[in-house]
Amino acid sequence: MTTSNAKSSDEADVLIVGAGPGGSVAAYELSRQGFSVVTLEQGFFPDRAAYPGRTPEWELLTRKTWNPNPNIRDNPQDYPVETSHSDINPLMFAGVGGSAILFNAQWTPLLPSDFRARTLDGVADDWPIDYEELLPHLEDVEQLAGISGFRGTPVHPPRRDFPTPPIEVGELGRRAIAGFDKLGWHWWPGANAIASVEHNGLKGCVRTGTCAYGCPEGAKSTTDLTLWPHSLKAGAKLVTGARVREIEVDEQGRATGAVYIDRTGRERRQRARVVILAANGVGTARLLLLSQSKRFPNGLANSSGLVGRRLMFHPYSAALGEFDEDLKSWRGPYGQIIETYQFYETDKSRGFVRGAKWGILPNGGPLGVSSIAGAKVFEDNSLDSSWGESLHRNVAARLGRCIVVSVIGEDLPYEENRVVLDEKLKDSDGIPAPKIIYKIDDNSRKLLKFHEARAVEFLEAAGAHETSIVHQMRDSGWHLLGTATMGDDPSRSVVNRWNRTHDVPNLFIVDGSVFTTSGGVNPTASIMTLSLRAARYIAEQSRNLKVA
Amino acid sequence: MTVAPAKSITAELRRHFAAIADVLVPEYGRLPKASDVGVADELLDRVLAARPDLTEIFVRGLQTTLGRSGREAAEHLFKQDPEAFDAVSTAAAGGYYLDPKVRELIGYPGQESIPNETPYALPSYALDGSLQRVFDRGPIYKPTPGKAMIAHPRLIGSKA
Repeated sequence: MTTSNAKSSDEADVLIVGAGPGGSVAAYELSRQGFSVVTLEQGFFPDRAAYPGRTPEWELLTRKTWNPNPNIRDNPQDYPVETSHSDINPLMFAGVGGSAILFNAQWTPLLPSDFRARTLDGVADDWPIDYEELLPHLEDVEQLAGISGFRGTPVHPPRRDFPTPPIEVGELGRRAIAGFDKLGWHWWPGANAIASVEHNGLKGCVRTGTCAYGCPEGAKSTTDLTLWPHSLKAGAKLVTGARVREIEVDEQGRATGAVYIDRTGRERRQRARVVILAANGVGTARLLLLSQSKRFPNGLANSSGLVGRRLMFHPYSAALGEFDEDLKSWRGPYGQIIETYQFYETDKSRGFVRGAKWGILPNGGPLGVSSIAGAKVFEDNSLDSSWGESLHRNVAARLGRCIVVSVIGEDLPYEENRVVLDEKLKDSDGIPAPKIIYKIDDNSRKLLKFHEARAVEFLEAAGAHETSIVHQMRDSGWHLLGTATMGDDPSRSVVNRWNRTHDVPNLFIVDGSVFTTSGGVNPTASIMTLSLRAARYIAEQSRNLKVA
Repeated sequence: MTVAPAKSITAELRRHFAAIADVLVPEYGRLPKASDVGVADELLDRVLAARPDLTEIFVRGLQTTLGRSGREAAEHLFKQDPEAFDAVSTAAAGGYYLDPKVRELIGYPGQESIPNETPYALPSYALDGSLQRVFDRGPIYKPTPGKAMIAHPRLIGSKA
């Protein structure tokens, strides 16, 4: 327990740490149901007018101010991450809306098989819950989030229609469809957390194509637009610029609240009957490890020793195809224009287990034609191959004339891949920073090589005259998963099937930390779904919860 | 957009940068070379206003190569000081592609806003049968063990 002299505020029913997708959903549901909710967010409320997408300088700004890598962005509200022992750099954003402010908005819920990797493929662990149990909560989240898409894809059981129609696929999408059609492979118009028409605080998408750097139109679904207006109206309190350094517990081992540092540098205490962590798969593990006490000497909720362990990112490769015709491939959504699950399920004859989802993407403006999300990747390493006349030739060949295939593969959980506290590095408030220890495994390497070859096959079928591959991009840690894994056995997991920590009965986790396995899909849909389900459980069980 | 000239960039450094920039972005067909559109002038100030973090490294790269030709300086930075090369090349290309004439010549209108006037109209892929072909091949997922695989009953827009 802390001995801090932090200034204390009134006790809330629920304290939430982090106003990203997971925390925002919990705040929405619990405030809507009449609970007093306080949310502490280390970043600030985004200013949509500051997003760079409509400025001529947008591509310059994405490489620094709006870069998803916190070590590059280096804002005071970002904490640094020590990555010298990691094959992948974690990406994130601190602010209301969370990392979704800079996400690509691909809406890809986990599929039925993702919850049963052990049973079906003999690897990792089964989740204690299944697809069907989450489905009603997923359908509710999709309505709130204004998801756009086309109902009927054959990659999951039937579910409710999307609340907004699919976004126009454009010339690029039609070219991709022709390629998939020729091969007889699965494709479907991409489902995106981008509204195509006005819906719940969102505008309709105008295909600006800068989704990954904040949507200047207000069409991309982030919770600052969709949920927080409702939550604030319902009485929820949102404290921005609040960096939590410890979750406190009482002598019975129940969470009593948090100590945080406000934007003036003052240490404060927020007390609560229930505490929910939603600080992402790096931040939540860091906070639990920071919250050491006599009762919890190895960090809070860590009797299993698994807090911070089983870190998963998703192995990521990209393929680029160049086409003769003008596809206007700077236009959005960015976003996935087309999605495919053709090679998602396990086929052991391929030499690896599990699979990957592909998203078909545009490739940006003249500075971005050799880049993915601001990181230069489609270049070789000599002055004359990238500069001089080669620059002009590359821009002529690629600007508006490319299709990018993004391959997101399943990452298997290993205890050696983990988040720990760094012994030297600290954030701007002097709090120890997280360190990532992560190595890509052989299954991921084989998975990516297989998918890269298939991606080239697809691009050539679509008519590409030139293709290139970036294998396992380092700046690809958008998905921070697994560091407080869900399970039934307290000795082998951190939270139970309701996202409640096994060790602390009034402490819940509602971010990607709880993922038992990663699936091969972008996780935000499932994070929000799990959070809504957990919040409903907390509301239903509020009288029975053992609180401080 | 008008920005104040970056004070730390002297006229000598601007001339040196122009020479390097012309190596990185030379004249090519109808496209002008970098200095012809002013990458060392107002465009440089705009780039550094957007990326003030580059200024110090950019100046270092120029100062350490003063006296060399543009080609020699570019080669030196590329091989010996990648961080400075990145700053100098970002300033060159970043400024060049801000120029409206260059954008017109390469056919880039900037990021557009294209409202969809008929968002509920059935897309071409739903009308031409291509999506139907995917749908008709049936479900491709593995169901939860113990549960049956279920297909959607019909496709929106389908004649079936």
